[in-house]
Amino acid sequence: MKLFKGKAKKALIIGIDGVPYSLLSTYIKNDIMPNLKKILNQGLTLHQMNASIPDISSVSWTSFNTGVNPGEHGIYGFTDLKPKSYSLYFPNSKDIKAPPFWEMLGKTDQKTSTLSQNYCNKISHPYRSIIFNVPHTYPALPMNGILVSGFVAIDLEKAAFPQSAYAYLQSINYLIDVEAEKAKEDKSAFMKSLFECFEIRKKAIFHFLAEESWDLFFACITETDRLHHFFFDASRDEEHPYHESFLRFYGELDKFIKYLYDQFIERSSEKGFFMILSDHGFTPIKKEVYINRFLEEREFLVLKNEGNFYERVEDKTRAFNLDPCRIYIHGKDAYPRGTVRKEEKAALLEEIKKILRGLKGENGDEVIDKIYEKEEIYHGPHTRVAPDLVCLPKDGYDLKGSLEKKEVFGDNIFKGMHTWHDALCILPENIHLSKKPSVENLAEYILQYYTQ
Amino acid sequence: MDHLTRLENKSIYIIREAYYQFKDIAMLWSVGKDSTTLLWLCRKAFFGHIPFPIIHIDTSYKFPEMYQFRDEKAKEWNLNLLIGRNEGKLKEGMGPDQGSKLDCCNELKTNALKMVIKKYNLKAILLGIRRDEHGIRAKERYFSPRDSQFKWDYENQPAELWDQYQSTVEEEEHFRIHPILHFTEFDVWSYVQREGLPIIPLYFSKNGKRFRSIGCLPCCSPIDSNAHTIDEIVEEIRISKTSERSGRAQDKENIYTMQKLRALGYM
Repeated sequence: MKLFKGKAKKALIIGIDGVPYSLLSTYIKNDIMPNLKKILNQGLTLHQMNASIPDISSVSWTSFNTGVNPGEHGIYGFTDLKPKSYSLYFPNSKDIKAPPFWEMLGKTDQKTSTLSQNYCNKISHPYRSIIFNVPHTYPALPMNGILVSGFVAIDLEKAAFPQSAYAYLQSINYLIDVEAEKAKEDKSAFMKSLFECFEIRKKAIFHFLAEESWDLFFACITETDRLHHFFFDASRDEEHPYHESFLRFYGELDKFIKYLYDQFIERSSEKGFFMILSDHGFTPIKKEVYINRFLEEREFLVLKNEGNFYERVEDKTRAFNLDPCRIYIHGKDAYPRGTVRKEEKAALLEEIKKILRGLKGENGDEVIDKIYEKEEIYHGPHTRVAPDLVCLPKDGYDLKGSLEKKEVFGDNIFKGMHTWHDALCILPENIHLSKKPSVENLAEYILQYYTQ
Repeated sequence: MDHLTRLENKSIYIIREAYYQFKDIAMLWSVGKDSTTLLWLCRKAFFGHIPFPIIHIDTSYKFPEMYQFRDEKAKEWNLNLLIGRNEGKLKEGMGPDQGSKLDCCNELKTNALKMVIKKYNLKAILLGIRRDEHGIRAKERYFSPRDSQFKWDYENQPAELWDQYQSTVEEEEHFRIHPILHFTEFDVWSYVQREGLPIIPLYFSKNGKRFRSIGCLPCCSPIDSNAHTIDEIVEEIRISKTSERSGRAQDKENIYTMQKLRALGYM
């Protein structure tokens, strides 16, 4: 029990889903975010950062939260196939195989990871965290503090721990997320709902910040990602009808960051820990690219008409893709109708890499930027279930896992796509980075702060 | 004693015991095969005259055949039929296409039932659920308490050992009683066959399709089947390897998750 409150360690972390380093730098320079500019002058540094591979929110936030790579935490996307089957399921918080940092700090972790093994004995006493709207934390699992799950949370009651947090959220008519379906019908109404959703989220965040005790406070804003999906073309185009709204949203975000920062300074001694990060970047979209259609055209994938999703995979199939570009070899040992034998796998991987490298856009430009075999990027006990190949595209080509497309390239209502190389983090300037950081590196800085 | 008679005896014992313990009791009838089997057993338990009300939760989205069957049988069997509807939400236009399917089920089924329980001050409800239906139902007890929020604390259930079914009830709680918990889908159809029980024609094949499980019209889809009679259904179930509820948009969270992911361009 600490008697001197002033000496207690305090950390405040703000997550801004899908905010690119490049855009944020521009907005800071152009005075669209004057408060953040001032904060950055107070001992903090903005860095460009790599997201997880694939650069999907569920994977990237889980990598941040656990401080380990997917080979250790086991999450590779919003969707996955159940072992030895074609049935699709949605991994959730219970499927994460490594503890998040708040469970390590709270001393409630029941799982272990390479990171937790290094730190669990060094944490002197349990720290209480408030974790708010972080994607892929649904359902809310018991922890030391308060947790309100973010995307894809469905049932608010299951999204809040403890029960009293649910009662409060219900009392303010809290919204888990904007209805992105509505963007299709009415863009201006959707833009309005982004602001409304941000308001209600702020209300809840300010409530927990002020009314509850905490050692660590971590709140995520996810409206930025939705804004970018549907309006990223408005981010730099002054003529765009939504340019002003886009900037106004960033203005609101800037004020929100200032408010939290001021609250943090007020509550912490000089040696508090403050951090901002995004889980991936964004870039304008040129075309969607349907990898499964491409594999079909090149006769790697054969689909029948009956069944849902991957149940349609026929025995002649040699490879198929899950969102965004996770390619799985249809191995004899791995799937009920799999035919590819172990000794054929290496040659098949080379063949697929070759055709993917040859995939060209309308102007003859390359679509695929990087191709990795799983052993190159993942390490840990759950590398086994990782995709055999993972690709990152050139900016502008959004790779997709749809099984329904009849063309390789297509257009959709989306104006922005995720990027791997352009996420960001804002860290205390005394943290020296020898190379470009990756999202899974950051949790260790939090643990270092609490154990130094 | 043969298998079906043993199942029947156990159910009738539980029904009579429940009625003896709780006078403020009612039975929930969805008009499907399971709760119709339960209704049949209740009639048998009380020699044709069920001494408590029968509740039908009407979402207004049921199949027309279900309403017809319900009204016919209620008259024929002289049932004290109570209809539970969430009129407020129905007036606001609640439906599977408005908001989410989860909200729709919540309002039109769960909350409608809450309203009926409150209105008639019921202390116990008989339900036709079966242990083999769904993973979570395997944990169910014959006598299963719910609190005022309908919460089921399945880690803290009263003991049910050595055929001792007695339990006490807290204030503000109600009991759910599951007299056919021990029936399997195959048992139900065999029992329907043996007893010559009337059943909604939706279960029989029409143009190569039939419903294996029925609920609301917008959220049910038929399975491929050529079973036109009870005998053919019994045979089909006997050799079937797919899940009974596979045709139902039943895992509401998954559907909603899919909807959310699709809205952002995944899947």
